[in-house]
Amino acid sequence: MSKRVDGQAAYVLHLHPYSETSLVVDVFTRDHGRVPLLARGARRPRSAMRGMLMSFQPLELGWFGGGEVKTLARAEWLGGMPLLGGRCLLLGYYLNELLLKMLPREDAHSALFDAYASALRALAAGGADAPELRRFEKTLLKELGYGLTLDVDMDSGQPVVAEGEYTYLIERGPVARRVGDGDTAVVCGQTLLDMAADDYANPRTRVESRHLMRQLIAHHLGGKPLQSRRVFMELQEL
Amino acid sequence: MTPSSSLDELIEALRCLPGVGPKSAQRMAYHLLQRDRRGADRLARGLDAALKLLHHCARCNNFTEAEICERCLSSRRDASQLCIVEMPIDAISMEQTHAYNGLYYVLMGRLSPLDGIGPKELAFERLFARATDGVVKEVILATNFTNEGEATAHYLSELLHERGLKVSRIARGLPVGGELEFSDAATVAQALRERRDFV
Repeated sequence: MSKRVDGQAAYVLHLHPYSETSLVVDVFTRDHGRVPLLARGARRPRSAMRGMLMSFQPLELGWFGGGEVKTLARAEWLGGMPLLGGRCLLLGYYLNELLLKMLPREDAHSALFDAYASALRALAAGGADAPELRRFEKTLLKELGYGLTLDVDMDSGQPVVAEGEYTYLIERGPVARRVGDGDTAVVCGQTLLDMAADDYANPRTRVESRHLMRQLIAHHLGGKPLQSRRVFMELQEL
Repeated sequence: MTPSSSLDELIEALRCLPGVGPKSAQRMAYHLLQRDRRGADRLARGLDAALKLLHHCARCNNFTEAEICERCLSSRRDASQLCIVEMPIDAISMEQTHAYNGLYYVLMGRLSPLDGIGPKELAFERLFARATDGVVKEVILATNFTNEGEATAHYLSELLHERGLKVSRIARGLPVGGELEFSDAATVAQALRERRDFV
């Protein structure tokens, strides 16, 4: 069955060359989720799409086709967002890799799409990126059905207290830290409460939330390594 | 498993070319064997010789048969300028401008985190060794204006600047003879953002 879609807000996640002159473009769209599109002739020198199919830029796309890979029919550059530069580009690749590795195809997540767009805008504006990245990761986990419990002790059922120390059990939630618990995934209550409120002003919250999110995401990736993180770390070490 | 014949082997080998699928590979193999055996022979010898003789120039990383390529050895070139490009074809484009008389360094790729290509894969350390030979004063970053090219330029600029070099980036904007009316919005937007003082 051939279906035609038009006027979809979208971002390019990744490009692969296909045959002599075409591209397969993995895009993230607002109402259709992640869709692979064949952009015919997009690598020809005079192709109108050549400069447009770029990651991190808001686009409006139209496509048709019934197979797994659809055919891109129309692309419009919406603009209004500066190109990402420098370190922010690497953070952008990190977001894209999370979507490519965790989001199944053709699974619509409009809340996640909005969180992604808002994170990219914040990166392009060059402000503090930590809050945006954590908010995006939180939305990603929630949309995939792994929503985090942050404000209740899962053992006692009591609310998390700011002064407490907790061990975060993956796929369960925080429990009061006991003597003998390892150091992995130890977070203070304040961090959990700040994360629940999306408040990342406290430096300790920023550090602990980053570690916690890294462990949760690694778990849900099932051992698949993140290339963008590896490249980022290697660049920091130079 | 039946042992693959030399025909199967050839078809499979041709598939390593970019954009060549099983059908095209089959067509190429039959063409070479049936219609153009001399061409096939030339291709085989050409590949064999290139693989044996060509390697990376010790200075610019481009392909050469010598230890150091002719351009890097030329005394008419300005050795104080080093232009960094992604691929050999980009160096050719730069040469066609007749506007540059310095030397080159060819990265043989670009940073591409999603494809797992980072500083190790591109041998950044080799480039740093080349650029800090004491003769190079200015490094001109001529990587592409794609996201990958920009990321590469950004990190190289920081890392080379830290090593005491003057770093510049080729300009981006409308093509010569370009008319706003026929230019794509992304290019015009970026040209506007990167506008410069005119008086």
